Amino acid sequence: MDRGWWWKFGMIVAVTLGTIWFLVPTYYSLVVLDRNERNNIAVLEQRLPAWAPPAKYRLNLGLDLQGGIHMVMRVDTKTALQKRTERRGTQIATYVNDKKLGEVTADTDPERLQLVLTAKDPGTMDAIQKEVLATFTDFTVESRNGGTLVLKPDEGQVNRFRDEAVDQAMLVIRRRIDKWGVAEVDVRKLGTDSIQISLPGRSNPEQAKELVGTTAQLEFRMVDDTNPQVFAQMYQQHPPPAESHITLVEDEGFPQLSSPNREALLAYAKDKTPEGRDVVTQCVASPVKKNDCIAYRSYLLDKNVPLTGESLAGADASVSQMNEPEVNLAFDPAGSREFEKLTEAAVGRRMAIVLDDNVHTAPRINEKIGGGRARITMGRASGRSFEEWLGEAQTLALVLKAGALPAPVTVGEIRQVGATLGDELIKKGSLAALVGLALVVVFMAVYYRKSGLIADVALLLNGLLILAGLAFFNATLTLPGIAGFVLTLGIAVDANVLINERIREELSHGKSARAAVDQGYDRAFWTIFDAHVTTLIAGFILFFTGTGPVRGFATTLIVGLLASLFTSIVVTRVITTYFVHGRNAQSVSV
Amino acid sequence: MQILKHKTNIDFISKRKPALFISTLINLAIIVGIAAVGFNFGVDFAGGTVVELKYNTPTTAEQVREKAQAGGLHDVSVQGVGAAEENSFLLRMGGVTQLTEENAEHAKTAIQGLGETRSVYADMANGIVNFRSAQPMSVAAVKKAVEAAGIGVQEVRDLGANQGGTGYDYQVVASGMADKVFAALSAGSDKPNFEQRRVDYVGPQVGKQLRNRGIMALVYSMIAILIYVAFRFDFKFGPGALLAMIHDVIMVAGYYLVSRREFNLTSIAALLTIVGYSVNDTIVIYDRIREDMVKYKGKPLPEIINIAVNDTLGRTILTSGVTALSLIGLLIFGVGEIFDFAMAMLVGILVGTYSSVYIASPLVIWLDERAHAREGHAGGGKQEPKTA
Repeated sequence: MDRGWWWKFGMIVAVTLGTIWFLVPTYYSLVVLDRNERNNIAVLEQRLPAWAPPAKYRLNLGLDLQGGIHMVMRVDTKTALQKRTERRGTQIATYVNDKKLGEVTADTDPERLQLVLTAKDPGTMDAIQKEVLATFTDFTVESRNGGTLVLKPDEGQVNRFRDEAVDQAMLVIRRRIDKWGVAEVDVRKLGTDSIQISLPGRSNPEQAKELVGTTAQLEFRMVDDTNPQVFAQMYQQHPPPAESHITLVEDEGFPQLSSPNREALLAYAKDKTPEGRDVVTQCVASPVKKNDCIAYRSYLLDKNVPLTGESLAGADASVSQMNEPEVNLAFDPAGSREFEKLTEAAVGRRMAIVLDDNVHTAPRINEKIGGGRARITMGRASGRSFEEWLGEAQTLALVLKAGALPAPVTVGEIRQVGATLGDELIKKGSLAALVGLALVVVFMAVYYRKSGLIADVALLLNGLLILAGLAFFNATLTLPGIAGFVLTLGIAVDANVLINERIREELSHGKSARAAVDQGYDRAFWTIFDAHVTTLIAGFILFFTGTGPVRGFATTLIVGLLASLFTSIVVTRVITTYFVHGRNAQSVSV
Repeated sequence: MQILKHKTNIDFISKRKPALFISTLINLAIIVGIAAVGFNFGVDFAGGTVVELKYNTPTTAEQVREKAQAGGLHDVSVQGVGAAEENSFLLRMGGVTQLTEENAEHAKTAIQGLGETRSVYADMANGIVNFRSAQPMSVAAVKKAVEAAGIGVQEVRDLGANQGGTGYDYQVVASGMADKVFAALSAGSDKPNFEQRRVDYVGPQVGKQLRNRGIMALVYSMIAILIYVAFRFDFKFGPGALLAMIHDVIMVAGYYLVSRREFNLTSIAALLTIVGYSVNDTIVIYDRIREDMVKYKGKPLPEIINIAVNDTLGRTILTSGVTALSLIGLLIFGVGEIFDFAMAMLVGILVGTYSSVYIASPLVIWLDERAHAREGHAGGGKQEPKTA
């Protein structure tokens, strides 16, 4: 045995042990833990022995195997864009009339998302066109026909708006699901206008659809500022438990509780909240990823909800004469009266705009607001650019207008599998895989004798490697994934068949055992390599274009092929070399 | 142990013309069949709703069907799943939401009855009725009116006042079909005696998207593999591998066409795997041909191919056999689409083995002949031994 061999042998032993070690969290989550706790990473983390890999490296079961709901929501960005174009049209018309350039009416073409400006006096159109294009730079001229000007929104702006709408919808959906308390949810963007949601363990698709798809509850509620120190006192009198990570922060002179864990914050404040008040949180968005909340802050609000989104007739963003972005609200007649009463009694207090139990903003009421029109002025401070504030104002307006979802969402796809069916599928799936595997193992041993047994060892290691690889990538095992698993084992055996047939052929040409083995491996290598690469190509394309279970299949196929390259070429060769070279054998058993 | 005791010497290449002819014929028949009859698209691609129910008491498909029809579900197909004593049924409906052509009209009439409205239009794909009203409306009143017209309403959305001041926009979102199924089947009893095991619900637009992506995936992978083969081998090997891949994909598609089994996302996965497997098989033989071309310099190409195919015949049979063996478990215990997947793979393995011998290899000869003919025409100088 030369040194190279020992190195390789050591590596194989290390890989094997590493593989088994890596499967510990998977073993605990699927076998040791109770089914209900399968997705609870915290429980798993506790139960795992200290030497095990972190709980996050475990193989998840797909929704088709453990039961749950898979949904794809489509964000209706077209409606949102149409609304936006409409809003801009009104702004343009107002601008033209204010500047006394003439009189125009703005209309939208909902099909093409274009803006049609019609001048009362066609003669004024030249001046209007010039001025409008200079001011509203996000529009370009599509066509002009006398007194009619068709404007087209700038492509880049439209795309940005569309992206924002989808991101915003994703944020809202995420928050709602968090409130539902589902462990291990997965919310991600799919393509340009869809959002994919996985809810393991859930079983009522209609309820899920309602939760995710409904427009939000929009509430106007008063902030209880009678005792600004309420949270500071709470914090001092009842120090919160360390694991809740609650800290006291100050925002514009008001002490607030802050914690990265919303549930912990609410649980802490629950029995300490004064009578007739509610603690409602606000999401502090991550500076890097707008859709993630890095912390939640507490607000003390009156329990009573004087006004809801139903009273709101409209909202839009504009720029004030002080050149500050602002959001204009319009209430319906009943809402106007209520709003006037409310603001009159609460001048100097803050009013929270609450969306889906999240305080969006809490502007101060400066004066009694009558006539059903209110204005929320955005700040200019904290180092953000004018554009950012304007964007914020536009988002708030959108949010106020259509409830929490900036664009309506519709259900594109729902797949739900009941828990008992999932269990049945696991049982049948693993049985099918085991039968296939057993048949192949027996066949190889019978047909190739010792070499067959070596191939079988490699095959078993291959199976373990696939599972560990999937666990490493935190991939999901799906029912088609099990099929992929079986198929890859078939392909892995193919490599050994190629090698062994080649060895037999070389032996029949009268070569020595040693030469036959070496030649067999060398000659078969590129064939095996090419064969694996071509299937890998198909696997990668399947991975990048597929969704859900198909993706699971592709992942298994890719991991399996990589594992198979290693086991069928390296592992079997090292073992065969041991028997042929090491023992200095004169014959080889194939 | 050995399958082929002695070295075979079968003349595969001489039978290439009738084989090619029959293959082409079958392929054409399948393509015509797909165009004329089409696949039995599953909800993945066609859109629609599938609900799987398991009854706690002995029930027949007929009883479920009657109950569904009594509940107003007319276009539903009921099919038993598994053994009769399992009492499991698959209910299939074309629609995704309760908004159909017919009742969209009822909904429109109901909305127009509420007051002055305009641009009332139904977005069938998303199950939404949009309308603009001159006056603000109560969401509850709209919901009541539409529900009175016999359509389950999930939500009425108030989109607020139109900026142009021309009215107020609303959206009525219809409930899903699954809702209606449960309502219809559990009517008359306070607790339903069935368990809802699975709901698949795919919107028609998503279905179309999924289908297009599936087809694109197939095309992309074939191109990528072709590039790889052209790069690793000689260019003249590429077209043969491609044709063999196409041949195999069509044959497997033929399985779905003839068996009328559901064609869905898993079927696309099966087709893609066949693409990978098919070329895998082709490459093994190509590799050998290339090796033998060096070894037997001067021998005509068809003879070399015959030698290469014969030499690799043992492994070809074995490999296909072993892969097929691994599928047996899936064929026996596989349920639903996994069974179909395994079956499609089996068909693919068989035709893949065949095509690498009878499609991929002869094409190399043909391209080789053409290349020589062209060389002869162009220069007339170099005279290689004629290959025929």
